[in-house]
Amino acid sequence: MSKRGPERTRTRTIQVDYLARVEGEGSLTIKLRGEEATEVRLSIFEPPRFFEALLRGRAYREAPDITSRICGICPVAYQMSACHALEDALGLRPTGALRELRRLLYAGEWIESHGLHVFLLHAPDFLGYPDAVAMAKDHGDRVKQGLRMKKAGNAIVALLGGREIHPINVRVGGFYRAPAKQELETLLPELRWGLGACAETLEWASGFDFPPLERDYECVALRHEREYPFNEGRVVSSRGLDLDVRDYDAHFVEEQVSHSNALRSRIRGGGAYLCGPLARFNLNADRLSPEIQRLAAGAGLTAPCRNPFKSILVRLVEMAHAFEEAIRIIEGYVPPDRPFLEAAPRAATGFGATEAPRGLLYHRYSIDEQGAILDAKIVPPTSQNQLAIEEDLFQLAGQLVRLPLGEATHRAEQAVRNHDPCISCATHFLKLQVERE
Amino acid sequence: MSARAVVGIGQEVAGDDGVGLAVLDELQRRDVPAGTRIIRLADPVDLVPLLESSAGERVVLVDAVLGSPAGAIVELSPEELSNQAPQPASSHGLGVARAIALARALSPDGAASRVRVVAVAIQAPGRYRAGLSPEVAAAVPRAADRVLRLLLG
Repeated sequence: MSKRGPERTRTRTIQVDYLARVEGEGSLTIKLRGEEATEVRLSIFEPPRFFEALLRGRAYREAPDITSRICGICPVAYQMSACHALEDALGLRPTGALRELRRLLYAGEWIESHGLHVFLLHAPDFLGYPDAVAMAKDHGDRVKQGLRMKKAGNAIVALLGGREIHPINVRVGGFYRAPAKQELETLLPELRWGLGACAETLEWASGFDFPPLERDYECVALRHEREYPFNEGRVVSSRGLDLDVRDYDAHFVEEQVSHSNALRSRIRGGGAYLCGPLARFNLNADRLSPEIQRLAAGAGLTAPCRNPFKSILVRLVEMAHAFEEAIRIIEGYVPPDRPFLEAAPRAATGFGATEAPRGLLYHRYSIDEQGAILDAKIVPPTSQNQLAIEEDLFQLAGQLVRLPLGEATHRAEQAVRNHDPCISCATHFLKLQVERE
Repeated sequence: MSARAVVGIGQEVAGDDGVGLAVLDELQRRDVPAGTRIIRLADPVDLVPLLESSAGERVVLVDAVLGSPAGAIVELSPEELSNQAPQPASSHGLGVARAIALARALSPDGAASRVRVVAVAIQAPGRYRAGLSPEVAAAVPRAADRVLRLLLG
């Protein structure tokens, strides 16, 4: 990022060579002069993975399974965005039980992903432990509770998706097999327990000491006419954007920066924006059920929340929502007549965006009349948040300079973890430029 | 007779990463001690509740490790695992060593402190494919022998 602030004499560099408790390989450099940051670089050196290129020429039916390999914890998100985009191209629109099963699957993934982040990765930051293993020695019951909640999410994905990691039961148009109601009902006792555990955990976490930071984010998320968004909605922002998913490319742009193997997104003609739990909550809190809204308010959380350190509370609120939604779907489930819809391929371009645990995940595919993929574009949440994360650190700089170096480094890492960045997902290139001497 | 469990970790579609599961298949073709639980896991984080709930049980874990020559078999204790170079905990799960360390922290007297790991060296899988390479496949019967010795020992 560009230089800021007046020239001062005292400079200090905070260097984190290897960010722990984020996915993938990244490092962070902050250069401070006086009380201002002169440079913030979130460097992503996880190698590029070329998923968009390897999709070209593959049959459209393969896209959900290929793209799910981008990520081990949010494979459902990749499958869902791929399915929605390809169904848009084919003119398919799964409704009724198929749509409900997709929401159920997504609920499982949110529980799994948020559960891991809240209890094993983020809570140790607030309680002063280097990691979950150290935290477990003093807060064993809390860690066990978190693992049990996560397991309830895994169980949804395993039952509906065929297995916990990289589920195999999702296809364009629906599912290969729809479960019987009795199968889904076996999940209910743990889901009901999980909903109660969320409420109790939220009360616990609301007592954490949240470092002061108020950020004037432009929040971006899906917004649906009735629901808190998983799969569908318009792309909206807190500064007035309100778009059909088809218009995403006209308003958001990815750019390459030299210090990162991930493309970095910004709003065309504008700047950084935030997606993910905090943005979703700020734009959609009114779509949560009255019970979950009361839970949030009880934890002192009201929209808009501008302190990214409070994202741990938002994740717990979203977990509660996911538990509640999963219970509602299973209780009302009537199996579909057929587990999927089908259509003949046609030459078309399709667009899809869904809400991955970490935020908006956009897919676009062009296919030919045989259904072969001609072109693919995938924009994961971490690329979209990279600039906002760097700006958080710019604003945090005033606090960092007053802390001993070790504490400042920890606080800076914690600020990155606020956004649960998934560096492996973010690492992809449309073009690779090789420089040789 | 004490309770026993063998846990295989891996993904069958990721080539040699599936060797832990192949060793379980081999054990099922042989006579394992009566009552031995044979457990397949894809996500090491699931080891945590497993190791907690198996207090008093003799647990052997079979997994692939990156190393050479491919097919070499090493046996590790939890201490030896945790003495390896520190691995950053991914936000996408825990590695095997971290999962065992977490289980030990949660239940100091549980099975995690006594678990033995039979590790089969593999080269990094370059692509998704089913089946093992010849060198790693050749190691499966030897790894199964080692597991049986630990179960009975």
